[in-house]
Amino acid sequence: MSDEVEFSLTVDGTAHQVTARWSESLLTVLRDRLGVRGPKTGCAHGRCGACAVRADLGDGEPHVLCACLVPAATAAGGIVDTIASIGGPDGELSDVQEAFLAEGAVQCGICTAGFVTAATELLADNPDPSRTEIEQALYGNLCRCTGYGRIVAAVETAARTRREATR
Amino acid sequence: MTSGVGSSLRRPDGPAKVRGEFSYAGDLAAEGMLVGGTLRSPHPHARITRIDPTAARALPGVHAVLTADDVPGDLHFGLTLRDEPVLADGVVRYAGEPVAVVAAVDAATARRALRAIVVDYQPLPALTDPEAARDAPPLHPDGNVYRHVSYSCGDPDARGVVTVENTYRIGMQDPAFLAPEAGLAWPTADGGVALDVATQWLHSDQRQIGWATGLPPEKVHVRLAGVGGAFGGREDVTLQVHACLLALATGRPVKVEYTREESFLAHRQRHPGAIWLRHSADADGRIVSVEGRVLLDGGAYASTSPVVITNTVTLLQGPYRVDNGRFEGWSVRTNNPSCGAMRGFGVPQAAFAHESQLDALAAALGLDPLEIRLRNALQRGDVATFGQRFDAPTPVREVIEGVAAIPLPEGPARKAPGGVGRSAEGGAIRRGVGYAVTIKNLAFSEGHVDESTAEVSLCDGHATVHTACAEVGQGFVTVAEQVARTVLGATTVEVTQPDTLIASAGSTSASRQTMASGTAVHRACVAVRDRLLARVARAHGLDAAGLTVADGVVCAAGRPLTTVAEAAPGQTIRATEHFQHPDTHPLGSPEARMYVGFGFSAQRAVVDVDVELGLVSVVQIASCQDVGTVINPTQLLGQIEGGIVQGMGLALMEEVVVADGLISNPDFQDYLIPTIVDAPEIVSTYVTDPEPGMPHGWKGVGEPPLCTAVPVVAAAVRAATGLPLPAVPIKPEHIALGIGAAPTVTWTTPRPAAPDRASGVVVDEEPQDALGTMAEEGASPGH
Repeated sequence: MSDEVEFSLTVDGTAHQVTARWSESLLTVLRDRLGVRGPKTGCAHGRCGACAVRADLGDGEPHVLCACLVPAATAAGGIVDTIASIGGPDGELSDVQEAFLAEGAVQCGICTAGFVTAATELLADNPDPSRTEIEQALYGNLCRCTGYGRIVAAVETAARTRREATR
Repeated sequence: MTSGVGSSLRRPDGPAKVRGEFSYAGDLAAEGMLVGGTLRSPHPHARITRIDPTAARALPGVHAVLTADDVPGDLHFGLTLRDEPVLADGVVRYAGEPVAVVAAVDAATARRALRAIVVDYQPLPALTDPEAARDAPPLHPDGNVYRHVSYSCGDPDARGVVTVENTYRIGMQDPAFLAPEAGLAWPTADGGVALDVATQWLHSDQRQIGWATGLPPEKVHVRLAGVGGAFGGREDVTLQVHACLLALATGRPVKVEYTREESFLAHRQRHPGAIWLRHSADADGRIVSVEGRVLLDGGAYASTSPVVITNTVTLLQGPYRVDNGRFEGWSVRTNNPSCGAMRGFGVPQAAFAHESQLDALAAALGLDPLEIRLRNALQRGDVATFGQRFDAPTPVREVIEGVAAIPLPEGPARKAPGGVGRSAEGGAIRRGVGYAVTIKNLAFSEGHVDESTAEVSLCDGHATVHTACAEVGQGFVTVAEQVARTVLGATTVEVTQPDTLIASAGSTSASRQTMASGTAVHRACVAVRDRLLARVARAHGLDAAGLTVADGVVCAAGRPLTTVAEAAPGQTIRATEHFQHPDTHPLGSPEARMYVGFGFSAQRAVVDVDVELGLVSVVQIASCQDVGTVINPTQLLGQIEGGIVQGMGLALMEEVVVADGLISNPDFQDYLIPTIVDAPEIVSTYVTDPEPGMPHGWKGVGEPPLCTAVPVVAAAVRAATGLPLPAVPIKPEHIALGIGAAPTVTWTTPRPAAPDRASGVVVDEEPQDALGTMAEEGASPGH
């Protein structure tokens, strides 16, 4: 068996032909082979969420996962949306991104892409999450700067803004 | 003005960060770049009998393999004592010490090269007990004691009616910033080297790179790359020198990026320590005397150990008036991981111990924990045990009263103790409420020069601000923009990337950058504004003294004359200004001024504890902090909340476990930092009493919340369990099994202080010169 594998991968709407080692993670492929730097390397063992992306690995059910834990080859033919796919329709910030800025949920920012990705999925599924539901959706993401208070506030603000906008 | 000082102006780097487009050090890349790797000692103490890089050098794709023999300049570096080899020099003194570095075409080739380096070690006994190390044969030519301090004040043998004593232990905490160390170095056309790196202190890196490479400072160009958190852990050099050596050796750009495990091994941790304290008080709970002894484990190399120890020892008194005392401490060398700066810089250790003692005194006397603290609260004009007069606002009573006024949480607990990993079944859950109050020195201390320089330019209402102050996430970029908007009336502001083209701003640490670099920016803005007004005055034939700037408008005698943007079309007005705090002096100096200033903080914690499983949920922490002036309410809250949760981590879960010199949990699987589930509700209030001598009366705010959170969480868990809990982190087994000795309480015959000894500080033993090489060159730490 060759130590490399070739496969197709759609990232943020762009189709790529990827050649990677079998042992390479999806995170390594995104960052080092495709130059997609939105997902960050915090721990590379699935404990911090800085590399969170929304991925459809072929089963038609996209969900947020740690790119560092996915062997890239298992994503063959898959669709990956990173933080670069999150934003308003005309390129402006999404309501979640806007709320993260307004509430001070960003300090060093290395965790931010992961939090915004996870919070965006949460609000897509649950427009009015309780504090407990927010915690359940985000406990896989670590933040060392904020103490999480402003992040919870940002998610609550984004949810409220969206409910008011669609009322 | 909605964007000036006092507003919650948004971070200027925020939009890029929420889009995932902000460039961090780990994102750096360059054409033709090589990847660096580091071979680390697996032994905590060993003699290197042979290093053979021949096979590694012969591998295809390997461009350089460097050992100590290949360091062109001085082999040794360090923030204070300069005792640490850039690459191991015949002996390794901790597990993880760099032995060789490689540069190769890619990461896999670099890893192969590291495996191909032959190193023969002759293991030596590892000295990992700091108590034993103090008197053991030296592990290093510089000896095993980084610094010993000892002093007394008043009559240390004075006694009240009750005396309590205990020994408190603090575990090793990792800064655990989320972006591991990374940097990119390349050779420059002037024969020098450039480095883009995530750091806290560009000029310190520049100096230490210069030592090892043999290059003069002007040929070492350091520029800040995007920093993913720091908390003290990026104050020391880790990969900076290695990356530059590799770039110079290969003639190519070289990127070095650590894994999470390497990050644990490579950067300095918070000092673990043991603190013995004896407090004696009268029947009203007033402190009569305090005696304390501190032993901090500094690990294998000095880093800032000689500075940290005086923080711990001198602040054992807490935010309380102590007229009689005897204090002593050592920071020592062992074969454990090196310890250095982490947010709080020796004070969380002291705070945990003195606050535990205050509660023990209150319990012995049947006093309310707030009441005993109020009765002993420092006031402006009091004199510290180390001789310094508190000559600025000292609002200890105010922060205590402020926290007491915050309502307790109501209703049933929302979650069971145990966090993500384990939720208690319920049944044996008890609630506890605890209080803590702390003092934290702000800025560099003991004669270490605390200064910064800012260059500000203004053209058509657009201001550009340049300093060497490292933005590590804390929000200095926002503060600088707010100052430029307020003082200059600028409509747009750019805060440029810090580099070594401008003079040093010192380290982003010690809660000091708003005070130092913020003040330098303020001064430069004032100078630019005054030059602008002079031009406007000339053009209009007016007296400049009658002109002012407010909200972007230049006014003459209060009437709008022109806008800042239109006042001097096309002209760039520029000013560079320097700020330096008044001098400080070493402990025991006749000037009796060790510290620039102080911040005070009071907190109350409410916890739920499953007393059978030993699990804790922190329900709420209420905080009242002395902050000088609120510059940016949102960013201030971020500092308070972030600091509290880091302190809570040290109190309950975070510990670098070191067994026989080896870290057994160098990953986030086993080193637990608080998650969103662990984080409590935080209620934050402030005492705003402007700091004299500072623009807007601002002062540092970043460290006090952490210092207070450690003892306050411990106090609440004690209140819930009735256990003494003299060690942090408080582990489940400490609670479930009741581990830890209670304070010894002795009822004593009161003996008033002898009048002939009742004044002045006596330094019992001349402290060694701990200021080290950096102080001589005018920039050394001391937080």
